[in-house]
Amino acid sequence: MKRSPAATTLRWLGRVLVALILLFVLLPGVVVAISAFNDRAILAFPPQAWSLRWFWRAFSYTDFGKGFWNGLTVTVWASSIALMVGSAFAYAIHRYKFALRDLLEGILLSPLIIPHYTIGLGVLILASQTNTARGFPLVIFAHVVMVLPFVMRSAYISLQNLDTRLELAASSLGATPLRILFTVTIPLLLPGLLSGWLFAAILSFNEFTATLFVSSQATQTLPVAMYNYVREFADPTLAALSVIYIVVTAALLTIANSVLGLGKILNVDAH
Amino acid sequence: MLMRTDRTTANRFAAGSDKVRPAVQLDGVTKRFGGSVALHEAWLKIQPSEFMTLLGPSGCGKTTLLNLVAGFLEADNGEIFIEGALVTETPAHMREIGIVFQNYALFPHMSVANNIAYGLKTRGIDKREIGRRVEEALALVKLSGFADRKPRQLSGGQQQRVALARALVIKPKVLLLDEPFSALDKNLRGSMQVELKQIQRELGVTTIFVTHDQGEALSMSDRIAVMSAGRIRQIAAPDDIYRRPADRFVASFVGDANILSGRIVERQGDSAIVAIGDVRVNLAAAPIAALSIGDAVDVFVRPEHLTVTAQGASNALRGTVATQVFQGDHVDLYIDAPGIAAERILLRAPGIAMLSSCPAGVEVGLKIDSDDIVAFPPGAAP
Amino acid sequence: MNKRPFLGWFVSPAGLVAVGLIAALLAVFQYSVRAYVPGSLDVGDFTLQNFAAMLRPLYAFAFGNTVLLCFETAVFTLLLAYPLAYALVRTNSSALRSFILIVSVTPLFLGEVVRTYSWMIVLGNNGFLNTLLIKLGLLERPVQMMFTAGGVVAALVHVTMPIMVIMLAAALSHIDRNYEKAAESLGAGPVRIFFTITLPLSMPGIVAGFSTAFAWTFSAFATPQLIGGGRVSTVSTLIYQLGFSSFNFPFAASLSLIGLALSLAVIALLKKAASPLERMAGST
Repeated sequence: MKRSPAATTLRWLGRVLVALILLFVLLPGVVVAISAFNDRAILAFPPQAWSLRWFWRAFSYTDFGKGFWNGLTVTVWASSIALMVGSAFAYAIHRYKFALRDLLEGILLSPLIIPHYTIGLGVLILASQTNTARGFPLVIFAHVVMVLPFVMRSAYISLQNLDTRLELAASSLGATPLRILFTVTIPLLLPGLLSGWLFAAILSFNEFTATLFVSSQATQTLPVAMYNYVREFADPTLAALSVIYIVVTAALLTIANSVLGLGKILNVDAH
Repeated sequence: MLMRTDRTTANRFAAGSDKVRPAVQLDGVTKRFGGSVALHEAWLKIQPSEFMTLLGPSGCGKTTLLNLVAGFLEADNGEIFIEGALVTETPAHMREIGIVFQNYALFPHMSVANNIAYGLKTRGIDKREIGRRVEEALALVKLSGFADRKPRQLSGGQQQRVALARALVIKPKVLLLDEPFSALDKNLRGSMQVELKQIQRELGVTTIFVTHDQGEALSMSDRIAVMSAGRIRQIAAPDDIYRRPADRFVASFVGDANILSGRIVERQGDSAIVAIGDVRVNLAAAPIAALSIGDAVDVFVRPEHLTVTAQGASNALRGTVATQVFQGDHVDLYIDAPGIAAERILLRAPGIAMLSSCPAGVEVGLKIDSDDIVAFPPGAAP
Repeated sequence: MNKRPFLGWFVSPAGLVAVGLIAALLAVFQYSVRAYVPGSLDVGDFTLQNFAAMLRPLYAFAFGNTVLLCFETAVFTLLLAYPLAYALVRTNSSALRSFILIVSVTPLFLGEVVRTYSWMIVLGNNGFLNTLLIKLGLLERPVQMMFTAGGVVAALVHVTMPIMVIMLAAALSHIDRNYEKAAESLGAGPVRIFFTITLPLSMPGIVAGFSTAFAWTFSAFATPQLIGGGRVSTVSTLIYQLGFSSFNFPFAASLSLIGLALSLAVIALLKKAASPLERMAGST
């Protein structure tokens, strides 16, 4: 497209603006990375000497290791349960009309706008009222509630894109509803369901506010352990951990982008 | 904007008449996308008030050419002129061109009136004048009273009228139409074509129309530029394109054609005599000038230029009816003629008499009944 | 034959989760109208004292402060995310596309704690920004950035950027480019095209992004707690203090109930205010 000089100037201004915004987004990550290699125990800039010792401390600090495994347990359970419950429900609301359908849908989507501390506090009070221990099931339940809307949404979108004539074809060929479900519907929904699961898993692994309320010392997840660490210590161990976190996440996303096309998953691809 | 001009005729736009300054001129315009050439050295002169159609299959470069004229793409080589002024470097918003898009691209957040007024507002025209011209444009497309509707409240045909009004109200130097009928259903398409053509004639606006539909092209255009693989193959009036296609591609893309195998037997100046089996036909020598007496040629014969005659009649080809297809006002006969044509010959017979007289399996004689026969050097691809 | 196969099987687990969620919310509601028994986790009799206490300036201020913080965050996030989303959708270079996508989306998957921690290092008195500005000679002594509302907003903007970018990019990518071409052919320059075509047509994304940023910020706890350091009080930090420092769960419950109501009200208000805009964008 040909442009007037004014348009060219605008384009350059736009580029500078975008570069500055990207800098803003990147800045904390870069700063954390620099301080992670700082030898001194006080967070100060610029580092005077370099060292890897905070990485060793991050690995050897037991709360982090425990938090990681706790988090993984909660994440795998919560996102898998949410996947099954959420996609089954999405199937039901996509295909059928039934009593309380809209009400149920509204309730299950509400965690998108209910503050997480309200959910955390509610589950905590409910547990104390029913004398339920603050164990894994409690944390997992809270997480299921919070990630369910995301799984429902991605399952629903996949269902909308599913050509129902394929199911009719299978039915005309003599397949029972159960056989159709497992041989046609679920295989065709699989990519959407998997990306929904992945999204739910990442959100669950990082959830902090509600987990802080419902977890105990024995069930605390990595974000909670990190939060507690920040309140107690001021050394760069958490910076080192953050660097690992950032590197692993960015690597996973880069892989996801090249394999699955992140733009497609996030629905931001131009038409 | 409602001034009338004389009814335009194809003759006025005969190629090469340099008396009038062309409304649009492309001088050797080339456009590449990455490594592939989308448009190869296009030379084109469009006369004022002319309705020029770019016809070709998808990917032939017709939309690229349109986008280059509009200014949405930048030419790699060559120059573009509009009304004599060089516009190759002019941004699209300063070219004063009206466009009707395939999906109309009516601004969904604006009313019909605001859609039409958009181009007038960018020109800083005063409010009362805008109101008057919007009314006028709505009347032109027979949509008075629809000013306050939103585009989504209109039918496909109405949306197209609004798009046309929006493009015309700015008194564009050229009107570009990018497959405007493809989104309409078949019945509506015909009446919209008639209406569009009438408005175009009334206003005398120079028009470039892009389509892959040969029927639209033949019925609406003053001249047609047939395109294929990034090149303009032929520029001529519709009847010339149909009767005297310049090459194999044009002959097979525009209209149906049977390809018969012949042999050159004689040359007389501009014409040549070609033998197809026992039948001799006289045709233009130019397309096969490079060949010599005795060489094989492919002869292109339209289905309606063949007639059935008694088997064994003199000066007739022989064939066997393979299938007949009833088409309402005519009958399509598919005829096997091994040795003459590699594929089944299609013959279009008016009326329904052939249904009973030529059942499948019957041997018939075929007469070539027209002067509009062309031959090209043999080749696999059209 | 059953016209609705699996209906019961598919709906009842979701129903169970919904019942659990409602029970949890009812529990909050029930606690909010009970008296606080100091030094005990048990609660006393029915009372409306908790809600009456909220009229005290300290709490009223926290509510006002939270809403203000959320608005500032949402506005700044929108202003920063729009150019990024625009560049993401409109750039022709696929390398740049991937880069912007990864850079703007990665923070979404890092969680609030990691991101907040990195801002602590950026904003601290011996942190990156102060050190840099002093080295450059722009400052003589460190400026207090930690424990200020400005610092909290900066970090919150960073936290809500990814989701805003995704929502805006989704809206922008669904705008037919022919609208802009049509406007251009009608004589509109780039600035006019942006303000009359692109911006109004991306309105649904703006509304969705703004409300989401607002709701997330309202819900944020780690950022105001760690960067505000107790000096920037929000609904979330108050609830945590009441619950886990003074074990006044009834008051925490009533606060979080009001917090929920307030956030719902503001989002409903946003939706209402935005509906003419959305209608303008033609998405009914």
